[in-house]
Amino acid sequence: MEFSEHIKTANVEDVILTQPFHPPVKGTLCVTGHHLLFSGRDGDSSAQLLLLLRNIDAIEKSVENLVGCSGLGSRSSGQSERSTGSSGTITIKCKDLHILQLDVPGMEECLNIASSIEALSSLETVTEMYPFFYRPSFLSLQGQWGLSPAEQDFAQIKALSDRWRLSEVNRDYFVCPSYPPAVIVPRSIDDETLAKSAKFRQGGRFPVLCYYHRENGKVIMRSSQPLPGANRKRCKEDELLLQAVIDGSELGYIIDTRSAQLAQQARMTGGGFESKSNYTSWKRLHRNLERGKVLQESLIKLTEACSDQSHNMDRWLSKLENSKWLSHVNSVLATAGLLAECVEREGCSVLVHGSDGTDTTLLLTTLAQLILDPQCRTLRGFLALLEREWVQAGHPFQQRCAHSAHSHARLKQESPIFLLLLDCVWQLERQFPLALEFGEPLLLQLAQDAYASDFGTFLCNSDKERCALGVKEKTHCLFQFLCRPSERDRFINPLYQPTELAIWPSVQPPSLQLWQGLFFRWTQSGQYLQEAREEIRNLVMQCCRRGCGQSAVQLEADSSIPSSGVVDC
Amino acid sequence: MASASIPAYSSNALENSSTKNASRESLKMEPLSDMPLLPGEERVIDKDIIYICPFSGAVKGKVVITNYRLYFRSVEAEPVVTFDVPLGTISRVEKMGGASSRGENSYGLDITCKDMRNLRFALKQEGHSRRDIFDILFRHAFPLSHGLQLFAFLSQEKFEENGWNVYNPMQEFRRQGLPNDSWRITFLNENYELCDTYPALLAVPFKASDEDLRKVATFRSRGRIPVLSWIHPEKQAVITRCSQPLVGMSGKRNRDDERYLDLIREANGGTSKLTIFDARPNVNAVANKATGGGYEGEDYQNAELVFLDIHNIHVMRESLKKLKDIVYPHVEEAHWLSSLESTHWLEHVKLVLAGAIQVADKVSSGQSVLVHCSDGWDRTAQLTSLSMLMLDSFYRTLHGFQVLLQKEWLGFGHKFGSRIGHGDKNHADADRSPIFLQFIDCVWQMTKQFPTAFEFNDRLLLTVLDHLYSCRFGTFLYNCESARDANEVKTKTVSLWSLVNSDRSSYINPFYTMESSRVLYPVASMRHLELWVGYYIRWNPRIRHQSPVEQRYRELLALKDQYLKKLEELQLSGSAPRLSNSTAPSPASPTQRVTHMHTPF
Repeated sequence: MEFSEHIKTANVEDVILTQPFHPPVKGTLCVTGHHLLFSGRDGDSSAQLLLLLRNIDAIEKSVENLVGCSGLGSRSSGQSERSTGSSGTITIKCKDLHILQLDVPGMEECLNIASSIEALSSLETVTEMYPFFYRPSFLSLQGQWGLSPAEQDFAQIKALSDRWRLSEVNRDYFVCPSYPPAVIVPRSIDDETLAKSAKFRQGGRFPVLCYYHRENGKVIMRSSQPLPGANRKRCKEDELLLQAVIDGSELGYIIDTRSAQLAQQARMTGGGFESKSNYTSWKRLHRNLERGKVLQESLIKLTEACSDQSHNMDRWLSKLENSKWLSHVNSVLATAGLLAECVEREGCSVLVHGSDGTDTTLLLTTLAQLILDPQCRTLRGFLALLEREWVQAGHPFQQRCAHSAHSHARLKQESPIFLLLLDCVWQLERQFPLALEFGEPLLLQLAQDAYASDFGTFLCNSDKERCALGVKEKTHCLFQFLCRPSERDRFINPLYQPTELAIWPSVQPPSLQLWQGLFFRWTQSGQYLQEAREEIRNLVMQCCRRGCGQSAVQLEADSSIPSSGVVDC
Repeated sequence: MASASIPAYSSNALENSSTKNASRESLKMEPLSDMPLLPGEERVIDKDIIYICPFSGAVKGKVVITNYRLYFRSVEAEPVVTFDVPLGTISRVEKMGGASSRGENSYGLDITCKDMRNLRFALKQEGHSRRDIFDILFRHAFPLSHGLQLFAFLSQEKFEENGWNVYNPMQEFRRQGLPNDSWRITFLNENYELCDTYPALLAVPFKASDEDLRKVATFRSRGRIPVLSWIHPEKQAVITRCSQPLVGMSGKRNRDDERYLDLIREANGGTSKLTIFDARPNVNAVANKATGGGYEGEDYQNAELVFLDIHNIHVMRESLKKLKDIVYPHVEEAHWLSSLESTHWLEHVKLVLAGAIQVADKVSSGQSVLVHCSDGWDRTAQLTSLSMLMLDSFYRTLHGFQVLLQKEWLGFGHKFGSRIGHGDKNHADADRSPIFLQFIDCVWQMTKQFPTAFEFNDRLLLTVLDHLYSCRFGTFLYNCESARDANEVKTKTVSLWSLVNSDRSSYINPFYTMESSRVLYPVASMRHLELWVGYYIRWNPRIRHQSPVEQRYRELLALKDQYLKKLEELQLSGSAPRLSNSTAPSPASPTQRVTHMHTPF
């Protein structure tokens, strides 16, 4: 298919672009296969806009035929030279929550542009998306795609424990279509057992290891729900697999991200939970985390409240509360804290799942690793974590991020799970400003790329799909790009001070804040604050460069100091 | 692996928790012998007591009461629980339970503090064991109600710096370029005869005679005539302040007052209409007529009146009370945001800030303004000082901020004595109100929005608030300058600024970048205001407080200095280092660096 079919009008002159906190600019608008380009007359760079069409969530158009009106106008005011015909307005609402307005002279042009945007922004064919066309001169397609292959991750664990192995039972994606080809499982469990366990798990997502805690050798496993169904079926292999995770007499925890009641109900549709009688060494904890539509609606409410530009901003806090976004953040962080607590303080291995094991499950496993594992708190470590726990573990990005808060389209599988993860990470960063090597700019970049990107990383729903379409050969990898020295500098937290300590977030409501950097990104002029942050950054960077390249050395000493000794109340 | 004070995400779900109970008998030492005492501080009573901690339950320990503080330390608990509360912080002491009360720990004392916390102690029920401690606490927490002296007068503390020298009114006038052709400095109030709640030195229009001032004083509540607080260095527009005019029900007018306001207007050629900011809501201003007050009516031809809708001291007191209810001891978790909203605290903060922005904006556009409320010592002080903070970068320095407080709050008679109730047992006094706290909150909001614009840090604000109550320093005692003079505060007590200025580096914002000309307009919208968790909820161990970012930056700075020094030494000794390899330290240096890392802070 040719993109040009969709482009009836490629260029329009004298378009006026209006964005919040910028004066309106007149210039030329141009539609290409993947972008909307706007170039202001003055040639001033602030009046340039390059927008991925994929980033557009919804457009609203209104046209008016000025011929009739202008007659009236010219009679009353005598200004006839301006009324040369018709015009239209297109309001573009982006997935990154940016809203902008284009005033296009000429009704036809306006309608043409609008229909091009509508068609091109909703292309469903993955291989027609921009990442397959993005070929910057400074990147090569020959490089490694992704940050750390499973073999590398496994090598680390192998050095510490001989109880685990790397299984390729899923090499052809037959056993579990949403898993990567290689997964880490207990050494004593053979591939056949795995395949049988997979049959007993929703979508074939049998329990696999996602985190090994060095300090005590305990692990975090993840899976999807088991399938005992209404008849309380059981699966010996699945039980065996879980038994092999823990050493004989030990106790393990299962954190189910559904309420006990929902887990019960799931039995009616073939799903269910690990019963006490069949999984005797495992104790289930139910923590209901919202997902799917509920989260999507929460995001919509929140964005509505945030973009309310009326001067009467009464009851802002109530509106914020009603969106429930922060209470979702709260329960996710609290449950991730519980998970980390089980591993670190109780010294138990934990299995996490909900129903599919592709959404809330990943939220918990990711955040628990950030809390516990200092390696995940570096820039590279964090991106590698996202790669393992989200991209390879099969979070269906394409479905979840097809639309964001503004879309009028009927929502299908959309849900801002990944955005919620980034928000939780932001809260961690805010509470521990020294503990993460990266900062808000990286999280904002990821929030944007998850919805629309030059890179192929967040395309498709699983590794299998990506392989089938050649994503790894034909697109560039975002994570590799972000780790390049030139980009790294932008995302580094200059105050970073690694600590070996677990970073336990406070989940009391006053400790959680709205992520203004994301939700007010386009609707407020945070200019001064931005400048101030930049200034601080420069100050610190300067100081780091001149004073101490040796941060690593001094940090070792610091990490032995506990963050608090005496309870002072 | 050690970790910080941990929020329990769900301790009850985990069965085998809390089994570690290290008893450390070997470490028993003479309890509290190492307690630090200030010079002049004396121990009054020691007692075994149980502290009922709202977060971790009953904690056995010892309490010491001195003439300055209440100090508690646990004896068995691990980690050790200690706290140290200046008696000035206590607003109320009550007996809880009686000799026959049933239930564990039901007999004891309930202490309400002015700084957003309460303390509860339990004692043995036998033998009236709380009688002595109650009496002692009551006497020493409220010395003025018992014919005793405030601790500030007993303190023998010595500091390098003398904080009483921080503010010299004449010097501050000169800094502003006064006197000049349009404004003069008058000594008319030298003996506080014109107005006993005003400072001795006043800046007034050049053309107004002393006689004029006396006449105007008769028409302004408590003689608080309009005088200059700040003058724009280029535009000559001024901020003046006063109390309400005594218009009354009959709508009296006073030609002298009208003419005087016109003189203020004329003093700056650019002002066509003098803007009068009445801090009150319109209805309150009208209601004040009934008690003889009111506002400037249409007789003031060259003035325009703007009401700023800020509520009175009683509303603010109730609002803070509600705030305390939702944060202490336990945070209202279920509906945190709407509960916070219903306290209206942030909304009041917003209105004060918004009012100050209007004042600053008028003045920076070259128009003179007059600010008042009813008496001109609460809302007026908030508005003038905040707008001055926005307009004049001098006040954003550590020294300038002290000058600002001395000048606009202490000099112009904000009734600290009555608003805080220093040493007074009457906790329900309707005169008490957190007006100054609210102002500091506004300052904090500004420092959040402009992180590089202020030379001082959060710690300074917390220190100021702590010593607002502590009565360790004379700074905030009494209601006005004349009362402080009469009580010889300057000679008999130490200034809070002595403490601060003897340890400047602790109060410095390392990110401060001087910028002299910028007017700061904070965004006064609910979306941009934050609850100051680090103050209002600082007693809750489950709230994580801002990690020391500044500390970290200071460490980096110190490291840089060390590095440069080292470099110098090396260069001197002739063994030129290879700069480009400086990132890889020699094996000897890291330990050195490390040991020095923490000492300076």
